[in-house]
Amino acid sequence: MSDSGSLINKGKHRLLMVIAIGLPLIVLIFSISLAFGPVKMNIPDVWQSIINIIKYGPETGHERIIYYLRMPRVLGAFAIGIGLSIAGAVFQAIIRNPLVDPYITGVSSGAGFGAVMAMTSGIAVTAISINYFVPVAAFVGGLVAFSFTFMIAEGSGGRAINYVLGGVIVGMGFGSLTTILMILSDDQVHRILMFLFGSFTGITWAKLWIIIIPILVMSAVVLFYAREFNVVLLGDEQARQLGLNVKRFKISMLVLASLLTSFCVAFVGIIGFVGLIVPHTARMIVGGDHRLLLPASMVIGAIIMAVADLIAKLAYVPVELPVGAIMTLIGVPFFAYLLMRRGKEYAA
Amino acid sequence: MISTKDLNLYYEDYHALRDMFFEAEPGEMIGLIGPNGCGKSTLLRTINGLLKPSSGVMYVDGKDIHKLNLSEIAKTCSNVPTEFPPDFNLNVIEVVMMGRYPHRKGLWWETDDDEAIARDALSKFEITHLADRNINRLSSGERQRTLIAKAYVQEPRVMLIDEPTSHLDMRFKLEVMEYIRDLMEKERDMTVVIASHDINLMVKYCDRIILVKQGHIVGIGTPEEIVTEKNIADVYGVECSVFRDSSGEVIVHPRCSLKFKS
Repeated sequence: MSDSGSLINKGKHRLLMVIAIGLPLIVLIFSISLAFGPVKMNIPDVWQSIINIIKYGPETGHERIIYYLRMPRVLGAFAIGIGLSIAGAVFQAIIRNPLVDPYITGVSSGAGFGAVMAMTSGIAVTAISINYFVPVAAFVGGLVAFSFTFMIAEGSGGRAINYVLGGVIVGMGFGSLTTILMILSDDQVHRILMFLFGSFTGITWAKLWIIIIPILVMSAVVLFYAREFNVVLLGDEQARQLGLNVKRFKISMLVLASLLTSFCVAFVGIIGFVGLIVPHTARMIVGGDHRLLLPASMVIGAIIMAVADLIAKLAYVPVELPVGAIMTLIGVPFFAYLLMRRGKEYAA
Repeated sequence: MISTKDLNLYYEDYHALRDMFFEAEPGEMIGLIGPNGCGKSTLLRTINGLLKPSSGVMYVDGKDIHKLNLSEIAKTCSNVPTEFPPDFNLNVIEVVMMGRYPHRKGLWWETDDDEAIARDALSKFEITHLADRNINRLSSGERQRTLIAKAYVQEPRVMLIDEPTSHLDMRFKLEVMEYIRDLMEKERDMTVVIASHDINLMVKYCDRIILVKQGHIVGIGTPEEIVTEKNIADVYGVECSVFRDSSGEVIVHPRCSLKFKS
């Protein structure tokens, strides 16, 4: 017997630790996000305001700022962080390589193109059609982009590096299409650019529910299959030999991850590298078991997204920086480091 | 335990398995030998249902393996791969525990029984001290033992092992085979089929040998019956001496390829 005790109990214990450390951190970043912005408040006042809002509804100026602007925004950031991180973890497990994420595989660019097309086509003018039509168009764009990447990558050998290169090509293609759309509808250039750069500013309570519920449902489906994700790590033949219908599982999970990504893109634009950094960091902390990796990714994803949004909000007050750009600035050196350190192992 | 007749398999128009026919008993350890591309791996994949024969039926444990669903197959056959993909920080105990996947009961977590079975396998293959080690940081012999342990906790009736020793040095080769042999002594009703290029090792450890050439079974029988100078020349195109060493073990010593013999 190993002196480490029962593996299963250790796993459950570590899962509790993830939650016990993660929740307070989330509450902390939640409070900070509500307190800081162009109008500064202090955290005890923020909680007093929250109590007042719950009791009497938002009345004072500060309470209105908290309730109508900052709260949906930070909750949206949490949800998007969770969604993109889960999508990234799925891509990494299924393609069996930690160098891929929804952005690298071109899915985000495809979804972005779909969303922009919906915005400029004139159909998505009312709030309702924006909330429903844009996500659907983003879904289609994201799925088409992923199908292209999948075909290119599998056609060129199916290795991780093929996915990276295939995704870059597809991303460039959709990027150019988006540029053309943008130029053709030059009255909307600014709006589209702000959308593409990624931002949480536009999240209202009405939008928030449309964002949170599907993201949590899709993430729950992924969590449900945590054990299957572990089995997939053994390789296709071993996984199949253990009784998993690998082909069906992989394709349905890739489609799910593409949907999840597209959904995030539809509401907050293109935010790259979250899906790359977060699962990788989680893997370093809790190891490769998806029963720990996925929950840890959700926690870290929520936190990193809200922190990036805080930076975007506070770095150049009163100008807001696009959160997508902040995330990319964090992600690029991280990706470069990974490629140099681990690329040799995983590209082969 | 394994029984098949008139087994044929085509890869498109390539006839990979031709009229194969053999039986294997419970408790038997079968060595599958033959040159590169003769159909050894194809045969293994047909036994565990990964490949569907073009004609003929493969019975494993009395059941037509191709009529079982994936989960039933997983409880009947397990296989030990030659290579293991680069992993994602998986450690030895986690990999071995995955062998319990076909027997899963709860959602998410394995049961305490699963863990007891996995721990038992670790101690059988003497890798308990490596339980928390990353699988990529093992020696080839240790990794091979981990993969065999994983296949073992699947509690299969038939264990298929493809090239277990190809990356191993002399000592690890012997050790891995000893572990498998030892396992056979304890699990008397399990059948093990090993495909290998190492004829001497197969002769030393297997109860029976199946010799395959271009998808045909050339012969099935005890090592002494099958591994003869004539058969080796016929199947491998190699001139060799087959003799007994001082301890009485049969040794195959290749002398030259018939191609270069004038």
